[in-house]
Amino acid sequence: MSSIQINNVTKKFGEFIAVRDLSLDIEEGEFVALLGPSGCGKTTTMNMIAGLEDITDGEILFDGQNLSDVRIQDRNIGFVFQNYAIFTHLTVYKNLSYGLEVKKISKPEVERRVSAMADRMSISHRLNQPASSLSVNEMQKLAIGRSAIAEPRIFLLDEPLSNLDAGFRAYMRAELKVLQHEFGQTMIYVTHDQIEAMSLADKIAIIDQGRLMQYGSPLDIYNNPHNRFVANFVGSPRMNLIDGELREESGILKLMVHGGAEIPLSGKVKSDFTSDSAIHSGSLGIRPQDIYFGKKKKAEHIELHGTVEVVERVGPKRLAYIQVLETNFLAFDDQDKLSVGDEISFCLPADKCLAFDLQSGRRLGEMQ
Amino acid sequence: MNAPTKASAGAPMQNKPSGYWARVAGDGNKMGFWFVLPTLLLMLFIVIFPLLMQLYLSVTWWTPLEGIAWYRAWEVFSWGENYYFLATDPRFWGALWRTLIVMVFAVPAQFFLGMALAYLFVDQFPGRKFFYSIMLTPMMIVPAVVGLMFFLLFQGTGPINEHLGLPSNFSWLTDVNRAMISVIIADVWQWTPLMFLILLAGMLGVPSDQLLAAKLLGGSNWQNFVKIILPRMKTVIIIALVLRAVECFKIFDLIFIMTKGGPGVQTETISLFLYKQTFGELEWAYVAAIGLTILFSLSVIAAKGLAYMAKNNG
Amino acid sequence: MKASPRSVVLKYFFVLLASAIVLYPLLWMVTMAFKPHPEWTTVAGLTWFPKNPTLQNFEFIFFGHAEGLVVSLDRTIVGPLIASLVTSICGTLLAVVCGTLSSYAVVRFGLAQSLPLSVLQLRLFPPLAVMIPVMVMWAFIGAVDTWWGLSLIYGIVTLPFAFWLMKTFFEEVPIEIEDAARVAGCSYWRVFYRITLPIVKPGLATCALFVFILNWSDYLLALLLTQKEWVTLPVYMATLTSAMGGQMYGMKAALGVIAAIPPVVFGLMIQKHLVRGLTFGALKQ
Repeated sequence: MSSIQINNVTKKFGEFIAVRDLSLDIEEGEFVALLGPSGCGKTTTMNMIAGLEDITDGEILFDGQNLSDVRIQDRNIGFVFQNYAIFTHLTVYKNLSYGLEVKKISKPEVERRVSAMADRMSISHRLNQPASSLSVNEMQKLAIGRSAIAEPRIFLLDEPLSNLDAGFRAYMRAELKVLQHEFGQTMIYVTHDQIEAMSLADKIAIIDQGRLMQYGSPLDIYNNPHNRFVANFVGSPRMNLIDGELREESGILKLMVHGGAEIPLSGKVKSDFTSDSAIHSGSLGIRPQDIYFGKKKKAEHIELHGTVEVVERVGPKRLAYIQVLETNFLAFDDQDKLSVGDEISFCLPADKCLAFDLQSGRRLGEMQ
Repeated sequence: MNAPTKASAGAPMQNKPSGYWARVAGDGNKMGFWFVLPTLLLMLFIVIFPLLMQLYLSVTWWTPLEGIAWYRAWEVFSWGENYYFLATDPRFWGALWRTLIVMVFAVPAQFFLGMALAYLFVDQFPGRKFFYSIMLTPMMIVPAVVGLMFFLLFQGTGPINEHLGLPSNFSWLTDVNRAMISVIIADVWQWTPLMFLILLAGMLGVPSDQLLAAKLLGGSNWQNFVKIILPRMKTVIIIALVLRAVECFKIFDLIFIMTKGGPGVQTETISLFLYKQTFGELEWAYVAAIGLTILFSLSVIAAKGLAYMAKNNG
Repeated sequence: MKASPRSVVLKYFFVLLASAIVLYPLLWMVTMAFKPHPEWTTVAGLTWFPKNPTLQNFEFIFFGHAEGLVVSLDRTIVGPLIASLVTSICGTLLAVVCGTLSSYAVVRFGLAQSLPLSVLQLRLFPPLAVMIPVMVMWAFIGAVDTWWGLSLIYGIVTLPFAFWLMKTFFEEVPIEIEDAARVAGCSYWRVFYRITLPIVKPGLATCALFVFILNWSDYLLALLLTQKEWVTLPVYMATLTSAMGGQMYGMKAALGVIAAIPPVVFGLMIQKHLVRGLTFGALKQ
């Protein structure tokens, strides 16, 4: 078990920069998710931690120790591949024992640890069968067990749940959390599924185009996105992000949206936008669940009028798509009374609105 | 009806292609028939008729020398004399023995060298494509030309003697022992690339993440090679060895150009022996008998081999 | 992970060593082809690159005589070269056409399921063990020492390669494409000719080149089934030896170079599919 410091790491493939000046501190025993859209560099980052890829620039320290000159074989890193990389020509037992046998551990000890791990992963009834006969779900367990048995210093998982069917995925998600607790190991987990990351990780590192966009606890990232990308990426359904020009008309600061909609700004969101006088175009973010219907409850809330375009049911709630000229807002219809075509008014609570600079995507104003 | 009914009853296993084709196979069969016809005719022409003729000639004394047409060969009927003679012909058994010698030395040498080369080439490195092409050239050269190349190399006044500092009367191709060595060297030179090519394809077929997983689990390169790569290459290895063994059994061009089977019969393999019987002695009936014996033996071996593989893979 | 410098050096050492071993005999023959008589042997010292490069050897085999050489040749390379080309090409055509048609019928219509294994058998036996009846038959129908006689046997012995190679290419064509065309009203022939064949065209070209290489490389069949008119290059090369009393190394090397060029060029062109071809489609790269 060890902590990991990633210091200003850059990875280039020829001209292409896969990872750009990335720094992360991962505490001992922490469960960290690397989250980002596909091709963002998260897998490359993990491969560099594992030593599967060279680092172009920067360093990765394990408990303060640089392992870049240590052979992969001697790094003692647990790695669960996306498609598990089970040795399908061997039995389940031989898969589990591989990491121990190559280290010349005595036979009784190997047997003891294999059967303990098989019990833990509930695949002991399969021990003497060829690994190729396992179901995908069992392969997943075997892959984790095979890595865990050698008691690695850290544990890396590359999209481990993406091949599973929906039901088992939920079960395995919970199981992973339990396992992480039991092993007490530092775990790094790559995923493009924000729900997985949110529910599993102690900390999430959001990566886009090779850059670290934000690093923090799931709640912090959800409530307090540092930039427009994170705001857009995290949360389901997605945050409303309304882009427009900032213009002052007769003493009122308005966000002029392409297509004609005007959003008068007031309260906290207004002061956020005005905190940097150099900003002329901005992006206003509001989560669907923060929008409410009817008259405004507070003077500083922003009231808008629009037409209900589509209503769809999401679980117990209904999601409404409301159109204001050419701009779409997504909101929860918690009272179940909207229908398509309704002309309605709805409000954005100004203190829940987030302000971003449209050019740089940077968050404006004070963080909560 | 109390008897339990089987769910699969009435649905025999289908070996035919599925989908649309199976449903309308009627018309397709008609065109398919015309498609296979030329090949079937060629097969009949080259298998059935010659086989019968060979069987017929092998029980006569017929030779093209005496001016008897082949269909009148019954006039010199010999019963099983040719086969009896074959069983006691030291030259035949010697040739068979030498063929096996070539196989036993050349095929494993090609295998180990090919495997080592494949291991060298399995990872990317600058210039890999270029060197890969160089490695493949020997097997693309006409075997007769390879024979010529080594004939030139192994001359007393050739470069090999010069390099090894041997006198020009130190002979390779006309020496009782070294002739065979020279032939084997030439065969290894030409056909190691084939082994290399096939084994490399097999090695590249080993899933790379499994290899990485094995490394991350702490296996050394050698341990991973033996426990992960080799077992995964089993089928490929069998294919490569069988292909080379079959071809090596047929070896003719190289030896014929290099030594003509000499000195004496020192490099006379089965094919050279048959050639000499055919054109030197003109004992065609005898050659037919030998050929039929080889045909029969190889078929039995092949059938046994196939059955064994089917059993092990099934 | 970075490879250690030591292992990189070791790797290149072995790669270069292997390349040297591969190139050594080749280089000796190729340079020999451009060497004048005194440099053919090491009697006057070993020369790798001709001191007095000459085209004399090529001139001699093409024209039957060359300046400065007292000997002359009554039969030049031209006849054998044409014979090699004609018989290889015709044999290739026969094998590829028959192999393509029949493998398509086997793959798509499930006809003649025993055909794949039985054509494979053709490659199992030493040709000399089964050649007596063929030679008798060829003599009987007057096919010995004719272009068509040799082409016929070439087409037959390379048919297994063409058949198996095309079989794997057809198996890769998604059946849905053909189904769609059938449903749209195309006849079987039209589907094959207009849809499938264009899809496997690269495979067909590969197959043709591969089979051509095999036919071009033959020595034994031409040795058995030709006498004079249709003698091919390899046979001619070997007879040159005996006729000239042995010591015409330079000319033989020149012949060897000419005979070696087409297969090497074609072989490098179809490098990607060599494994598939050589293993009868059992392995793909």
